[in-house]
Amino acid sequence: MIAEKQMTHRSKKRSLRNIFIGLVPFAYLSPSILLLSVLAILPIAMVFRYSLMNNVIMEKNPVFVGFANYAKLLSDEVFHKAFANTMYFTAMSVIFHLILGLGFALLLNTKLLPQMTRAIFRVIYVLPWVFTATIIAILWRLLLNPNGVINYLILVSGLSSEKIEWLSSKELALHTVTFINIWSGYPFYMVSLLAGLQGIPGEYYEAATIDGANGRQLFRYITLPQLKPIILSLAMLDFIWTMHQFTLIWMTTGGGPLRVTEMLSTLTYKLAFSSYKFSQASASAFIILALSLIVALFYVRQQRATDD
Amino acid sequence: MMKGTFRAFLALLVLVAASLGSQTFAQSDVTLEFTQWWEPELPDGAFRALMDEFEAQNPGIKVELISGPYSSTKEQVIAGAVAGTMSDVVGLDGAWVSDFVKQGSIANLSDLMAEAAYDDSELASQIQLQGGTYMIPVVNFVYPVFVNLDLLAEAGIDAAPTTRSEFADAAAKLTNPDNNVYGWVLPLSMEQPNGIQNDVMSWLWASGGSMMKDGMPDLTNDGVRQTAEYIKGLWDAGVIAPGSFTMKEQDKVEEFVNGRVGMMISSLAHINLIRERNPDLNFAITALPAADGYTGKRGLPYASWGIGVSANSEHPAEAWKLVAFLMSQETNSKLSSIANAFPGNVNSTPDFVQSDELFGAAFQVFQDGYLANEFTGLPVAEDLMRAFDEQFQPYLDGSQSLDDSLNKAQEAWMENF
Amino acid sequence: MTKKASIRTARLLVILGLILGAIFSGFPILWMTASSFKSNMEIFAFPPRLITESFSFNAYKVVLGDPEKRRFFLNSYLVSGLVTVLTLFVGTLAGYSFSRYKFRFKKALNVIIIGVQAVPPITLLIPYFSLIVMLKLYNTYAALVLTYMVFTLSYAIIMMTGYFNTLPRELDEAVLIDGGSRFMALWRVLVPIALPGMVATGIYTFMLAWNEFLFALTLTKTIDMRTVPVGIQMLMGQHSYEWNEMMAMSVLGCLPVLILYLFFQRYFMAGMTAGSVKG
Repeated sequence: MIAEKQMTHRSKKRSLRNIFIGLVPFAYLSPSILLLSVLAILPIAMVFRYSLMNNVIMEKNPVFVGFANYAKLLSDEVFHKAFANTMYFTAMSVIFHLILGLGFALLLNTKLLPQMTRAIFRVIYVLPWVFTATIIAILWRLLLNPNGVINYLILVSGLSSEKIEWLSSKELALHTVTFINIWSGYPFYMVSLLAGLQGIPGEYYEAATIDGANGRQLFRYITLPQLKPIILSLAMLDFIWTMHQFTLIWMTTGGGPLRVTEMLSTLTYKLAFSSYKFSQASASAFIILALSLIVALFYVRQQRATDD
Repeated sequence: MMKGTFRAFLALLVLVAASLGSQTFAQSDVTLEFTQWWEPELPDGAFRALMDEFEAQNPGIKVELISGPYSSTKEQVIAGAVAGTMSDVVGLDGAWVSDFVKQGSIANLSDLMAEAAYDDSELASQIQLQGGTYMIPVVNFVYPVFVNLDLLAEAGIDAAPTTRSEFADAAAKLTNPDNNVYGWVLPLSMEQPNGIQNDVMSWLWASGGSMMKDGMPDLTNDGVRQTAEYIKGLWDAGVIAPGSFTMKEQDKVEEFVNGRVGMMISSLAHINLIRERNPDLNFAITALPAADGYTGKRGLPYASWGIGVSANSEHPAEAWKLVAFLMSQETNSKLSSIANAFPGNVNSTPDFVQSDELFGAAFQVFQDGYLANEFTGLPVAEDLMRAFDEQFQPYLDGSQSLDDSLNKAQEAWMENF
Repeated sequence: MTKKASIRTARLLVILGLILGAIFSGFPILWMTASSFKSNMEIFAFPPRLITESFSFNAYKVVLGDPEKRRFFLNSYLVSGLVTVLTLFVGTLAGYSFSRYKFRFKKALNVIIIGVQAVPPITLLIPYFSLIVMLKLYNTYAALVLTYMVFTLSYAIIMMTGYFNTLPRELDEAVLIDGGSRFMALWRVLVPIALPGMVATGIYTFMLAWNEFLFALTLTKTIDMRTVPVGIQMLMGQHSYEWNEMMAMSVLGCLPVLILYLFFQRYFMAGMTAGSVKG
């Protein structure tokens, strides 16, 4: 009887302890959860509510309209165009960010050069990243102006006899803004991959070299697999961020000429602050969110696969 | 149900935040907040000095200037109106008024005027909607034609053009791609579509035309059609400086400063800028050319620094005092002098009109014509310009016919009326 | 080919690649810096020149001579510094949890953390602003710091989880066997090893906070609370821009970031992490 009582007491104690232990991971997470639920999830929920109304902010008594705003957007030709442009812009940006970021990280990680030289190049290579998007847009507008330095160099070097309207030509504008975005974003990969490269134990390379592996094989069988988790995280984040890229496009082309650089982000902005259709803008934001979540789910699944 | 929980949650948050201790200070003085983009545009300290003057004249009222960049003022006012933090007095652009009225964020100034028994006969103009005044233009920047006299002389033109065909002729003579000189410059950026207002529709207004009929869009009328065809003619003749489709007002003036365009339609605010950047540039100001044979008065496009009062201001009477102060003959003269603009008070005369030849000439243009900006007070005015721009670009580019362009633009505009 | 010769060729190729890359990344910045020394008219002159007759430090004098603008820099330092420290702290805790514990809702939390940054900030502006006003945080540093933490936390958590995942579990177990707590294992062992990752994450965080414009403008009101990007935008007037001052302000603005980066570079240097893992 007494023994039994002691038993239950002990198991109660143990189950309390178990609960406590079960809460530990949440304790570590609590500051993040608190901050994100108040300042991120709450406003996002408000935007979602907006997207289901006829028109918030401009209407005093908005009415619930269900998914009408979504239906309207998804059947809109301009929206399709913006979607296609965004996909091109985002995919190209992510791919070239990765290629350039990885390439420069490998070059900078080389043991062939003295430390000081590498340090200088590391600073030069990170430069495009440290400026606010407004300035990057203004700077490239200056550089690519019909009377700007790039056109001058092209004329002088004889590459073309005519000035090229990089941003105002409907054939070139989309590629040009994509290029600017690639230029301004690769250092993000470079810095992170450089850090990742330091984390690869040197023995791996030594062992492989002893086994007779050449440089290409070292890269393919050691460097890439070791960097894979970081590359996946970077690519996913970059995909989501690039889909939002607004300032750069807005300040260089404003979505023009003839809508060839219209993106989901510029369209959303115009819906909100130019046409004052805040509900449609909110719906558009949620379509972007849904697209991002598909990528996020893919990423989480991938990560679980590597976990196991 | 969801709404209730949501509100309760918000209320809880507010309580928590309040208990964390933010204090409000009791104040006997009334402090007016005044959001505008003017202060950074004016010489350092000049606008604050005017506010100090106001405070001296009105003991017990303080003015706190909240200055932001022009390009973001609109977003800030909208967000402020939603959150209830909108300033008592706000600087306005004519293109925003209708939208703010619709949002219910700005007050009916007619009521305030009536309460203060204000005599509005001195006001040059008032922007009225639904029978009430919502914005008063404090100062106006008119948009005449700037001509580079040296380039004109080089091209063998002795008088500034006064008709459309003279202008086209002069532009053709001025254009010399080998020397990198063009006759005219046309900014059509989608980011800042005000080129449609200042550089396209201005041609229409200068010839007495209108893009509206009985308060509704009328983009398919002959006046608009001829204007569009005229500009297309200049475009096809290759007399317009390259880069139009992404060019903004701020780029346009730099082309002129560097002597690469012979003529531009531009704000009077640019006179001092051009002189400062290129003191050697020899230029003059003239009225916008009208259609051949047109003899009536010429409409002159303009942009205003307008003023309005928040609908939720706790001190509407004091706010009105500030508006009245800015509109008074003396203050308005001073402000238009430092801003190089034309006054919003009919009796004010800025000192530069006598002292400065170019401004004197501009004042002449101003007095001979009338202020015309049909976008002022229209709903989603900026969006209308953009919608027009979207159809105008393919027309210039040759990928869409004039009929299609104007019909599509008309259709897009009608959705907002 | 001897080994020495092949190393020499490799070195030449690397140097060539580095120089080409440096032109690609550095030339626009060089042009920006050069423009900050020009007069506004010369910035648009054709043919363009790198260095012009009127070379002057005037733009810098104007920017640095203005107490309001100096205050923008101070605000930006303060906000960005606080954001970086706090984000790293909070993000490291969360990353540790994700990396070392198995618990319910882990996957869901992961998706949420990634998802919250998938909404375009511009559409959040109005509800978010109302919230900040309700929380009585309008026009405070706290508003900016918390906002940027929200923007950067997802990234920090994802990156820190990733870095911790690459560190073997034997490391923390060694501490536990020695009688230390898990918390100790985190700060004494894992954090020092994950430092390169933390620095990379921190630099990103600092940069975002330093460069953000829209929320900095909306959530502050008075001139003494504005940050550098708002200051730069204020030089973009209704009718004209002060090009050279904008460029000067950007150049000045990037210096602290570059100095931080230089200072922390040693953490990227080879060998350090590898050595620790070995030990």
